[in-house]
Amino acid sequence: MNGLSHIDAAFVVTWLAAAVRLAGPVLLAALGEIYAERAGVLNIGIEGTILLGALGSYMVAVLSGSTALGFLAGGVVGLIVGLLLAALYLRAHGSQIVVGIVFNILAGGVATWIYSLVMGNTSSPTITMLAPYPLPLLSAIPGIGAIVFSQPVPLYLTLLLTGVAQYALFYTRFGLSLRAVGENPAAAHAAGLNVLRIRTWGVLLSCLGAGLAGSYLVTAQIGLFRDNIVSGQGFIALAIVIFGRWNPVKALVAAFIFGAADALQLSLQLFESALPPQLLLALPYLLTILAMSGVVGRTVQPGALTQPYRKE
Amino acid sequence: MKRLLERRLAPVDSPAAIVAITVGAMLVAFILAGLLFMPFGGNPLTAYGFLFRAAFGSVRALGLTLVQGTPLTLIALATIVIWRAGLGYIGFEGCFLMGAAASSWIALAGTPQGFPLLLPHWLYWPSVLVAAFVAGALWAGWVGVLRVRFGGNDVLISLMANYVAIFLVQYWVSGPMRAPGDLPQTPRLPTESWLPYLMSGMRAHWGAAIALFATLWVWWLIRATPAGYEIIVSGLNPKAARYGGINVGKRQMSAVLLGGGLAALAGLCAVLGVQHRLMDGMSGGVGFIGVVVALLARLNPLLVIPTALLYGGLEVGGSAMQRQTGLPTSVVLILQSLLVLLIIAGDVLRYYRLRWPRQKTVQTPLTEEPS
Repeated sequence: MNGLSHIDAAFVVTWLAAAVRLAGPVLLAALGEIYAERAGVLNIGIEGTILLGALGSYMVAVLSGSTALGFLAGGVVGLIVGLLLAALYLRAHGSQIVVGIVFNILAGGVATWIYSLVMGNTSSPTITMLAPYPLPLLSAIPGIGAIVFSQPVPLYLTLLLTGVAQYALFYTRFGLSLRAVGENPAAAHAAGLNVLRIRTWGVLLSCLGAGLAGSYLVTAQIGLFRDNIVSGQGFIALAIVIFGRWNPVKALVAAFIFGAADALQLSLQLFESALPPQLLLALPYLLTILAMSGVVGRTVQPGALTQPYRKE
Repeated sequence: MKRLLERRLAPVDSPAAIVAITVGAMLVAFILAGLLFMPFGGNPLTAYGFLFRAAFGSVRALGLTLVQGTPLTLIALATIVIWRAGLGYIGFEGCFLMGAAASSWIALAGTPQGFPLLLPHWLYWPSVLVAAFVAGALWAGWVGVLRVRFGGNDVLISLMANYVAIFLVQYWVSGPMRAPGDLPQTPRLPTESWLPYLMSGMRAHWGAAIALFATLWVWWLIRATPAGYEIIVSGLNPKAARYGGINVGKRQMSAVLLGGGLAALAGLCAVLGVQHRLMDGMSGGVGFIGVVVALLARLNPLLVIPTALLYGGLEVGGSAMQRQTGLPTSVVLILQSLLVLLIIAGDVLRYYRLRWPRQKTVQTPLTEEPS
């Protein structure tokens, strides 16, 4: 009896630690996406941005031999992609849905092309991954210490950025402007805000987050690059933004719940459970549909989301 | 800072300008993508020559291109119907999968002999077509209800619904519908349930005829019927449409049901015409490429067929080229998306004119013309 409860406790700690691990990259991407959506831009292109960030991070890590440098490279790639996407969304007045979808296809092609150009057909070398770094003192807290504070550095960075995003969005002038532009661009313009510039910042930050999420995947979770490395995590990040109601701290909770479902699915497969693993895999998407459906209370999205703005 | 772009007083929207921008953007896309062959030691012209010969150069090649173009046509038509009604639905991967699953289910009912065992064979085609269409219509329909009745966000809901459909099919082929064996897939469908080939020695199947018929029908629907007119007006200006006595919600719902059904027929063609079994990961992005085809055709049903054949041909030619020469097929994906992105970017030229940095803008004084 006692032994069994021991196993259960160990199982729960392993499970929740895996949940935090899986939640990390998507949370980072979601944090960025919150800036864009709060500014009124639905950036569906983060799926492709994560892929390109992952590729950039992997290449730099392999060529330079420094994983940390690789991590930063993903962010740089994200910012470059952000400039392109901002131009298409905001200057060329492309439909956000169209640009996002098409960009994801483009990113898939570009990533494969660059990869085969640089690496050829040889099997890809793995990089030295960022190892878990138990934080002194904090990691000694029973339970939480093993689950949250014995993770690789990018996770701590993500947690830090969650706080930063919460503060920036709700307690700074920048955040106020960003939200104003996303709710009612015409009024924001009348109040003297530069709508296109502020929206550009939103898109850049979302791509920065997505690029770093790609780095996170490569440098702290997978250690190599493949075409299918992202496989829908960008869309999970979109789901987290909605489920977290465009709020960084709530997104943190949502990411953790989604990570927990994903981790449970992995361990259930080991146990040959009667529950189909697909049900747990589909859970994040089902929850998001429910949150977006308008059936259970109205999710109030930024008023001008997906609406292009043209200065008259 | 010197600005490169100078705002036009009025946007240029003559048909000639739009055609010029489209053709120009396509040329630039082909040139840019062509350059991507060079680091791999390929001459862009030779590469394109090979690609297009492999896609359009023989009866066999044309057949393969038709096979690729068929689902793209159907999904592009679905996009046109739904988007013209003013929705941003992008759940075509899901509709495709539901159509594929429904068709396989009908074809497999009563295995090992399949459908013919249960009912007279002449009923098979009507029932499989209806089943696929209805499955897709229902799959798109619930998203439509959430949007029209409850004000949900159809773009995001349909995007998430794609993944639900993917996992649903994954569950079916690894559980209830699984064939004995290692791979998660259904048994091979009985031969009588396959879409017949158009002619022997050519992989093209009767799905192409379904796509052609659907194209003409959608074109007729939106050009010549009151229902089509109401769908388009609902999309252009819902408020004005309501004022004009159109039941916008009802029209949007009929567009969603129709579009979902059309996209599901693409799944039917893939299962009954090509794969002959339902398997995990079948859709592989075709639902998104179909949307891109519709966009490149500027949401015009008649332009869908040439565009879908171009896109399908690029895929066929691209993979043939990779098998033969080792040049990367990823260039095809890049080309397919660049075509649309450059057309979007090209639209800037309708609102702005280019001003070269070194050229001084001479302010021509407004002089009276000698009369």
